[in-house]
Amino acid sequence: MTLLNIENLHAEIDGKEILKGLSLSVNAGEVHAIMGPNGAGKSTLGYVLGGRPGYEVTAGSVTFKGQDLLALEPHERAAAGMFLGFQYPVEIPGVSNVQFLREALNAQRGNRDEKPLSGAEFLKLARGEAAKLEMDAEMLKRPVNVGFSGGEKKRNEMVQMGVIDPAFAILDETDSGLDIDALRIVGDGINRIMRAPDKAVLLITHYQRLLDYVKPDFVHVLDGGRITRTGGAELAHELEREGYAGVSA
Amino acid sequence: MTTAVLDLPSTRAEAWRWADLGALSAAAALGPVAADAADHFLDLPGARLLFVGGVLDVVRSDLVGVSIEPIAAGEHALGARTAGEGWVLRVGKQATAAPVQIVHVATGGENHLPSAIVLAEDASAQVVETYVGAGWSNRFLRVELGKAARLMRAVRIVQAAGFVSLREEAVLGEAANLVTTFLGAGAAGSRIDAQITIDGDAALAEYGGALLTAGTQQQECAVRVRHDAVGGQSHQLWRAVAADRSTASLAAAVEVARHAQKTDGEQSLRGLLLNRTATVNLKPELEIFADDVKCAHGATVGELDARALFYMQSRGIPTPRATALLTRAFVADALGRIADETVRDAFEADADAWLEAAL
Repeated sequence: MTLLNIENLHAEIDGKEILKGLSLSVNAGEVHAIMGPNGAGKSTLGYVLGGRPGYEVTAGSVTFKGQDLLALEPHERAAAGMFLGFQYPVEIPGVSNVQFLREALNAQRGNRDEKPLSGAEFLKLARGEAAKLEMDAEMLKRPVNVGFSGGEKKRNEMVQMGVIDPAFAILDETDSGLDIDALRIVGDGINRIMRAPDKAVLLITHYQRLLDYVKPDFVHVLDGGRITRTGGAELAHELEREGYAGVSA
Repeated sequence: MTTAVLDLPSTRAEAWRWADLGALSAAAALGPVAADAADHFLDLPGARLLFVGGVLDVVRSDLVGVSIEPIAAGEHALGARTAGEGWVLRVGKQATAAPVQIVHVATGGENHLPSAIVLAEDASAQVVETYVGAGWSNRFLRVELGKAARLMRAVRIVQAAGFVSLREEAVLGEAANLVTTFLGAGAAGSRIDAQITIDGDAALAEYGGALLTAGTQQQECAVRVRHDAVGGQSHQLWRAVAADRSTASLAAAVEVARHAQKTDGEQSLRGLLLNRTATVNLKPELEIFADDVKCAHGATVGELDARALFYMQSRGIPTPRATALLTRAFVADALGRIADETVRDAFEADADAWLEAAL
């Protein structure tokens, strides 16, 4: 089943076109990696799919589970099962992780006509996910990402993903800022939470190293606002060896 | 007694530049309004005073340790108008008073009431005041704190219409503590006007709160803290949230006398604009004549962090709820100063109700 289908997507920021006719189809059960040089449009793709204000789609279409994704508000996209893992997770002083995540989960459940989780049910779930990602449960009480190191913020993204349990995750440079141990923990987390026949992942990354833990079914090279090459896991190794210039040439 | 517009101060005077005296006059001219019959007392033991239109409702009040006496109301332009009988809380040496709750119900027109809190050495008290109804409520409060006395006050202005003007004059003795937190979360205009004097060494004054404005409402604080003794601390933490075409103004001044060495004075004034048509005025003021002092001040006005908003939305939280959570977080540190949980919960609930209505 096709989860996400992007056709001829054009998008711009402040009148500058960044995505220039990008097409991509992702089926349930697949992990796709998007690699590419700086400024190729990788993060823009993530933000356009997430619905960030300021990113204007000028042509093309995106369907998610068969519905028009671009017609949905960001919170509706989340409720429909989409999760955007941020390259730079945002600090929110004054709002605790517990409060933030419980609001998020129950808003999504409400949107799907599901019963909200009680405080106790939610805490059990959140503590369980924190433990699996080797994050101190005490950190759940702290304000969202405030004072967290780069690696802790990325781990916190994975805790959120585990609690929300989305059908489709776009992970924007989730590997940046991670040391070797944290990379393994986060990689294991992605496999555990997202490797399922009814789920899919779009990994946006610069480097091969995360792909050693999360084996992609497809690797795409994004350059100049469109996909210039598609291959299997071996393409990532080729890119690592020869660079984007070598592969694109 | 009615107040002619001509008797009011002029906004040409610096201390009154942001005062909405037009709204005050309009409130004074409001016709009679039926008294808000809801019970606004919190679940606390101790004294309960209900003033309806500035008059004590003897039947529904329980004075426990509070007396009604004539009070000299000082010389402040608005405060002086309250001269007459008012409530007085006197607490003797080393005694702890039962909590005192006062609910002021405005019933149209104008009402004036003076008050005083006098704590002897090592005495402590907690006072919670609530303003509801419609009209002009004008108040004067004199606070005298003896050596090591402690007063915790929390004041919420939730009148549905009209204007609330408060004038407070406090003098703190050696090692005394005064903690006062305000919440302006109604639809009335307001002016919180105060002069705090640190008169004894090592006294502490925390004076601040949150003003939430919407519609065309205007609320302001104009607070001066004077350090007249050694080693005093003052913290003025104010948060203003302004929506629609409203205006919130925060003017906070610290004066440090030449002999008031080792003073630690802090001002944190922050404004949040929920719409670009709203206004927040900030005026931090420092007058320091001593040379060994620490005075920090911060003043910022901004909008909600768009990145934080999108982050919350991307996790499934709809925009109005995300805005409410971020706005609530913005005022949280001001209300967090209220130590009593029952009182703090009530104030936070009022702030939440304001957010629900404004967003």
